[in-house]
Amino acid sequence: MENQKLIPRLLSYKVSFTLIVFVALLVIFQIFTPGHTFFQRANLFAMARLAPDLGIVTLGVGILMICGEFDLSVVSTIPISSYVFVKLLGFGVPLWINLIVTLGVGVVIGLGNGFLVTRTRLPSFILTLGTMLFWKGLLYASSLMMPIGIRSWLPPGSWLENILVGIIGGVFPVQALWLVGFASLLAVMLHFTKFGNWIFVTGDNETAARAMGINTSAVKIMAYVGVGVLCSVVGLMQCLRIESFSPNQGVGVELKSIASAVVGGTALTGGIGSVIGIFVGTLTIQIIENGMILLGLPAFGIGTFIGAVVIMFAVLNKYISRWSSR
Amino acid sequence: MKKRAISIAALTLLILLLIPTLAFAQAKPGAGMYFRLITHGGNDPFWAVFQKGMIDAAAELGCRADIDLAGSDQNLQAKRLQEAVAMRPDGISLCINDDKMWDKPVADAIAKGINVVGTNNDDTQGSAGNARLAYIGQNERRAGLMIGRAVFEAAKVKGVNLATMKVACAVEVAGANYGVVRASGIMDAMAEYGIPGKPEIVDCTIDMTTAEQRITSYIIAHPDVKAMFGLGGICTDRLTSGMKNAGKKAGDILGGGFDATPGLITGLKTGYMVASIDQQQYLQGYFSVYVLYLMKKYGFAPQIDTGGFLITKDNIALIEKLSPQNIR
Repeated sequence: MENQKLIPRLLSYKVSFTLIVFVALLVIFQIFTPGHTFFQRANLFAMARLAPDLGIVTLGVGILMICGEFDLSVVSTIPISSYVFVKLLGFGVPLWINLIVTLGVGVVIGLGNGFLVTRTRLPSFILTLGTMLFWKGLLYASSLMMPIGIRSWLPPGSWLENILVGIIGGVFPVQALWLVGFASLLAVMLHFTKFGNWIFVTGDNETAARAMGINTSAVKIMAYVGVGVLCSVVGLMQCLRIESFSPNQGVGVELKSIASAVVGGTALTGGIGSVIGIFVGTLTIQIIENGMILLGLPAFGIGTFIGAVVIMFAVLNKYISRWSSR
Repeated sequence: MKKRAISIAALTLLILLLIPTLAFAQAKPGAGMYFRLITHGGNDPFWAVFQKGMIDAAAELGCRADIDLAGSDQNLQAKRLQEAVAMRPDGISLCINDDKMWDKPVADAIAKGINVVGTNNDDTQGSAGNARLAYIGQNERRAGLMIGRAVFEAAKVKGVNLATMKVACAVEVAGANYGVVRASGIMDAMAEYGIPGKPEIVDCTIDMTTAEQRITSYIIAHPDVKAMFGLGGICTDRLTSGMKNAGKKAGDILGGGFDATPGLITGLKTGYMVASIDQQQYLQGYFSVYVLYLMKKYGFAPQIDTGGFLITKDNIALIEKLSPQNIR
């Protein structure tokens, strides 16, 4: 009985639609890009190396949206994690301790957001806008907005670099494996565990969830901590890839991740969504950007196409929901 | 009683001796003056260096100076200018990043007796287009010309066929004045070297990952491109990684750019980047304060070009040394 419900959950109508569009785009871009460059090794390599930045953040943000909340502070968590990592490198802290502390930054920011949202019961969009500005202000004051290179303290080829941003066999970026790994782990958590069920119920109807005995505050706090940790991982990956801390890391990711989750069929109102959808949604947004440039379309028009796609998916999701609920 | 009188007399003598010394120590030339620097800048490394220049100059002169960072919001910048004028400072340094909107506010401020100088960005017509009394900043077109010359000269030495050479420019804020004027300077260099056509502009945004993605995609889609410029610091920083992602080796595409960042340093060391132009924004903040001070005191109104420092692999050691101090 339970298994019969799993399939519609994993492959709902919205996800099916996103998947169809995703595959159609792959075909269109491969056929129409001059020289059929879309599936060229260099392009796939670049996509596999860079797409996980947004993809990993979107996984956390999407699950939080299913839980009925938003987190705009992701744009601060990424550079703060990177900054803490670089400063600890400078202090000569061993790499494994540094890794734990850097991930701890995400935990602390996530806990702060979670407590703030659940205690005040105010809209998370506003509260996390506030925490985003708060953390960013602190970061700018401490870093004086200057980039800090890592090579004075961390020579190329460290174990952390190999694990997080290495290239397997000189051809396959390990970041892509992290994206798939996180997606698989979160898919199991969201769709196959009791906690995942609590996330859906909390996002769908919080009052009913509490009446059922679910500690909705704890569920939300955990979801925020998840987002924080994923952002710290991305901050660390970016720092190692660009070989420096930069105060501009993560700019725009807060809205792009929400847009990607929406394209993947996640409801802005909470309670609806899937990890497969979020995963495909973030890839769809990124291949549109990539494909448009490969097609040689006007450089200044890329945002227009992405905006149109986000609106199209938001509208279609609404009508598909109505249609499927009949 | 006598002992007490001697003590008081000694103390009085000591105070009398110290007063002129203390007064002399405090009497810095700009004491009592207040200047305001109003910029469209944001919280990024570029403006941190600009601000450092301002702070250092103010400390040397003994005056007060504050900076406004409007975060690319021109309406906010205009509000900050109004507020500054209302404060009646001894001078204002303003980024004139629009040819129209600053004409009246600057003229009005000057009419009220407040000295206003331009910095970092100027009216494209210079003093003919805006009433500002002086300008301290990089001549963007000349900077574009210089970096263009450096890269095209390297291409010529390398034996690239200049008559068929394809050139591209990656920009963070599409259509922004800085990119347009710098690209014009690069076009001037193209004309000098007999390179036909215009550089193709790649819109990259200010997000580093997006910039790298778009630069990579562009290079893959245009295998014939032989020279690529980052028109701002972020694109310049990501240019080397973009070339590597697209499977290019050092020298396949000759890179050039603006500003000094860790990614540029890597690019110069590995041979992907030929050079970058440092507009020396520390001097823009520093000279803004000094020019306003000298203008208030003696009426000087100079035009100062702070740009044109070409960063190459031969002088990156200097940049690496001064960068952590927010000077370069």
